[in-house]
Amino acid sequence: MDFRLTDAQQLLVNTAREFLRRRCPPELVQQMATDARGLPEDLWKEISMLGWPGLLVPPELGGSGGSLLDVSLLVEEMGRAGFPGPFVPSAVVATSLLRAAASPAQQQRLLPDMALGERLCTLAIAEEGGVLDPAAVALEAGPGGRVTGRKLFVRDAHLASHLIVAARGAGGPSLLLIETSRPGIALNPMETMSGEKLFEVTFSGVEVGAKDLLGPAGQGREPLVAALAAGALARSAEMVGAAARMLEMAVEHARTRVQSGRPIGSFQAVQHHCADMLRHVDGARFLLYRAAWKAEAGQPCGGDVAMAKAHAGEACLAVARKAHQVLGAIGYCEEHLLHRLHKRVQAASVDFGASPEHLETVATAIGLV
Amino acid sequence: MEFGFPPDAELFREEIRRFLRAHPPEGFPEDGMDAGYGSGAHSHAFLRALAAQGWLTLGWPRAFGGQERPMVHRLILMEELAAAGAPFGPLPGCDQTAESIIQYGSERLRAEVLPRIARGDATFWQGFSEPGAGSDLLSLTTEARRDGGHWIIDGHKIWSSHAGIATYGLVLARTDPRARRHQGLSMFVVDNRTPGMDIRPIRSLTGGVYHYEVFLDGVRVPGDYLLGRENEGFGQLLKGLDTDRFWGRFYKAPALRRVLDQLVAYANATERRGAPLARDPGVRRQLAALATEIEALRMLFYRAGWMIEQGLPITYESALGKVMADETGQKLAALGMELLGAYGPLTPTSRWAKVGGAIQHMYQTSLGHTIAGGTSEILRTTIAVRGLGLPKA
Repeated sequence: MDFRLTDAQQLLVNTAREFLRRRCPPELVQQMATDARGLPEDLWKEISMLGWPGLLVPPELGGSGGSLLDVSLLVEEMGRAGFPGPFVPSAVVATSLLRAAASPAQQQRLLPDMALGERLCTLAIAEEGGVLDPAAVALEAGPGGRVTGRKLFVRDAHLASHLIVAARGAGGPSLLLIETSRPGIALNPMETMSGEKLFEVTFSGVEVGAKDLLGPAGQGREPLVAALAAGALARSAEMVGAAARMLEMAVEHARTRVQSGRPIGSFQAVQHHCADMLRHVDGARFLLYRAAWKAEAGQPCGGDVAMAKAHAGEACLAVARKAHQVLGAIGYCEEHLLHRLHKRVQAASVDFGASPEHLETVATAIGLV
Repeated sequence: MEFGFPPDAELFREEIRRFLRAHPPEGFPEDGMDAGYGSGAHSHAFLRALAAQGWLTLGWPRAFGGQERPMVHRLILMEELAAAGAPFGPLPGCDQTAESIIQYGSERLRAEVLPRIARGDATFWQGFSEPGAGSDLLSLTTEARRDGGHWIIDGHKIWSSHAGIATYGLVLARTDPRARRHQGLSMFVVDNRTPGMDIRPIRSLTGGVYHYEVFLDGVRVPGDYLLGRENEGFGQLLKGLDTDRFWGRFYKAPALRRVLDQLVAYANATERRGAPLARDPGVRRQLAALATEIEALRMLFYRAGWMIEQGLPITYESALGKVMADETGQKLAALGMELLGAYGPLTPTSRWAKVGGAIQHMYQTSLGHTIAGGTSEILRTTIAVRGLGLPKA
């Protein structure tokens, strides 16, 4: 067992933390939470120059060939800053899906632009059931190859040049790469408390054909499972980073807020809340790193990913709620960053499977019949 | 980051498993109660069997008869013993004392006691707490005064685990009554057979004996059985505290996993209202959640172990590990009792007991864990002050 970061990882983390501290301050997070676009264009260009969108893209296609552990470390920093925008949907989930499903020619055509940050893709899979489940996909092409129906909870569809649409195929889901500008596609925002930009995507007689397929028809399940696991890990990382930041806020407040002639951090009840928050953050963090490491190493890790996501959701929400308690009234204001981080954690906790679904995976993994 | 083990460590793991298959833990007589920490019951015979394998000196310097093996070997030994439910209760104390004697011990202690530890012939009880000195350990009043080349110890220790069946006590006594509370304390190695030692059992709430109280009345200890330097006993204790806490709880995660696996098997095999308990969504969720918590605990201990091995400063990590280990253990025991329903309270002597009647014992013993060795309340304050920099009260 070795818990040391590689030099490259340490550089990535240090650079990210410093960059986000300067370029993604709380004021920006607040602004973007209620902004329709949700991410300043110049900021996406800056992170593209840092190579972040290409982290999971292989070097021969213009990326840096990073691992799921590298991505977890980076996204943890993003979570700490409350960094908004389509990094996880596009640079993690869609990129993973393209690598798993797309033919070499398709990857050649699509991934270099993704690595440069010039193309953004997002996965459209959930429908009215509200779950990201390959088996629950009902949307399909009707006679004449036209699609009519809707997808819900599509992240950052408004910024994406392409949707990767999970549709029903023979024997399993098919994956269709469709430009968002194709006639018949309409995007409607789904207003949410989290500040994330979710869309209802409606398809009205949208023409699709074999040329739009990513990989063979009906063979989308395995690539989807891999991409959804990457999404679960990334969201867990985001939660851990946000929770670490909320703990820091609570500690800073406890040290400086004086009541009855002493800092409130000298009162045992407050100390104990903070100790419990630290326990939650550390507990979630190392389950996440191990799952990401195993996934990257190609080891069977369905149970580990499920444990990491289930635990991160519960632990990081517990941190958020305790942080509110420690911060008192000031944390109740909109202009304080705390609720923004809390709401991101809440959204992440139910994204790519909420804790109960993942615990069901764990239940099987530990041998319950 | 690396979450696997090196090949030599995995080979050692296989060797330990072969040993356990050849010498099943249940076959060893027990001299003292399993206190539920995960190290099992106290068995001198099992300790000697480990000694015969050469496994009691894994980390000792070669100059003292040890093997200087990497720390990971000691971790794997504990892990495998705990996963098998083996009775290695005295082992952590033996390791700890050996390390202290190697670091601080006189020539005589090294010559007389170390070989006994290596052979599995010596076990130790800790004489720290007193009736008036628990969390406030520094208020202890047991004292030792010089008498020529000896010390004479008078006092009263309590909550001394397995004192009545151990070979030696490690007694913390006041040697300079005029010094400040945390200075003026010294540590002594006291042979249990020394005249003046009155060791009385305390029956625990389980009905079994685990703790003892020890009355020391004019107990004469040779000068070179002072462990370390005079008046530096508390400082020595503090220096080793994080490492001692680590080794005292490292094996709890694999021990808890073993119990969880037994509960999974029970849920699979037991029907309630016509369906296996294992199919009940509530049961599935609770067992899965506890399995997840146990894995999180395991990872935190690996991280703390790595820090110790690398010589990185430990601020809160061992305190956090203890709190988590003990609270997770309580949760698991409570879940187990709930799952077993009416069968939960049945003791091993009842032919109707399930899971060997072990869960009710675990439930009872777990009550003391968040109290002994640092209460969870004190430790949460330690975490906050040392780990997060919050101000002292």
